[in-house]
Formats: sequence, structure tokens, C-alpha cells
Amino acid sequence: MARTLRFEALYPYAPEQVWVALTDPEAIGEWLMPNNFEPRVGHCFTFRTKPAPGFDGIVQCEVLELDPPERLAYSWKGGGIDTIVRYVLAAEGGNTRLVMEQSGFTGLKGFMVSKILGGGWKRMIAERLPAAAARVEGGRYRSAHDDPLSHCHD
Amino acid sequence: MLMDMDERAENEVFRALADPTRRALLSMLDEEAQSVSALTGRFEMSQPAISQHLKVLREAGLVSERKAGRNRIYALDPEPLRHAAEWLERHCDFWATRLDNLGRHLREKHGKDA
Repeated sequence: MARTLRFEALYPYAPEQVWVALTDPEAIGEWLMPNNFEPRVGHCFTFRTKPAPGFDGIVQCEVLELDPPERLAYSWKGGGIDTIVRYVLAAEGGNTRLVMEQSGFTGLKGFMVSKILGGGWKRMIAERLPAAAARVEGGRYRSAHDDPLSHCHD
Repeated sequence: MLMDMDERAENEVFRALADPTRRALLSMLDEEAQSVSALTGRFEMSQPAISQHLKVLREAGLVSERKAGRNRIYALDPEPLRHAAEWLERHCDFWATRLDNLGRHLREKHGKDA
């Protein structure tokens, strides 16, 4: 049973440029969250954001994989989930295709990830959850911006 | 972004969903509310066995029950699923927004053309 969220985006920049944005703590802080990331396998770091109910605002991470400018993975624990986030970069013409996957969802969340995004219970969820269903139906997510186009599916 | 539903309630829902017969029951109740005898007719299983599965679903809050004459009619209550689906939607939104931010960050740093 697939329990992976997958997002894809195409950026009009070289993989080396996207790689810097993924591995420079200041850059990461701009697009993701404030952090103390270091590009070193085994380095433990945190993301810190505003707390919300059930989430203290801290994500605990460890760098698991680092292969510039192609692959980066770190663990992602916080807010009741214990997952792995993985980025894979591929040159496509002068562009970079970024595939980001978050895997390892367990319990009810894992079930929802696989069933809803897998389309298994589309009708049950779709008719009662118009907003969410509009986003996940067909397993696609279209971002509000023209680029990049992101997908959210399993 | 990552708000959680009560963990115990969540585990109960997950346990209820883990069984294929109970998932089939939910799909049938999603079509229409039904009595236990109507449901039993669609399985090769005894009525007490189906009743036991319905009890688990009821305790997880996924199914509600009402009396109609001598029958009990069971209906799907999607609330716990809605909760988890909303969590999932927020979570997907979180990453989609962040990847948009990444595109904006690259544009600001390197200009429109790579």
C-alpha cells in the first residue's frame, strides 16, 4: 500500500541553482522554514515555525542522503508524523524537474494517504468533502501560480 | 499546518478501517443507510458477525444507528474521515505552497532567465 505523498515542480533554472536553494540554510529559511540545516549526512537539525494545536512548531530532522546536485533526503518528525522527505533533481533542457516525496505515513494518516490519493474511496470522500476532493481528485494538485505546476498524489 | 486529531480516537478509527469487511460495510452504507439484515444479505457471513463489525464501526464514530420500527438502520458518519482528510489537504497545501515559494525564491535570486 503506497503511503507516499509526491509533488513535482519544474523550475527554469539549472539543478546546481536549485540544489543551493535546497541546501543553504538561509535559502531554505526563505521558502520552507527557519532551520539550522548543514549539508552533511548524519547532521541533526530542526525546522521551527509557529506552534498550532497538536504541533509544537518544531520538526526534528536528520540528513540521510546527500548527493549534489541530484538527491537529498532527511527525516521529518513532528506534529504526530514520523516521515522521510526526499528531493530528486533532474536536468530537463535548461530546467530542473524537482520531485519531492514524503514517505512513511502510518496509522490513519497512512491509510488516508493511500486510500484518498489512490482514489480508492473517492466517492465516499468526494461527495462529503468538496474542498478537499477538488484538490485531490485524480491525485493532482494545481498550484495557485502558473508555475510551477505541482502534483500531489501517491 | 500539521494539527492532529486526538490520538486515541485516531487509533480507534484506524483499527476500525483495518478490516476489509468493515471497509466494505462502509462503502455499502455510503450508498444508502441500511438495516443489519439487508447488509448481511450481501456477505457470506452470519448476522451476529456483521453486527459485531457494525459495533466496532459505531465505537469508532464511523457509523450511526437509529431505530425504525423493529429494525435498526445504520448510516455512514464520515466525520472522523473528514477530519483526517482535512489534515491531509492542509498537509498537501503546505508543501504545494512551499514549492511555490521555492520557485519565487529562485526567481528573486537568479532573475527570470536561468
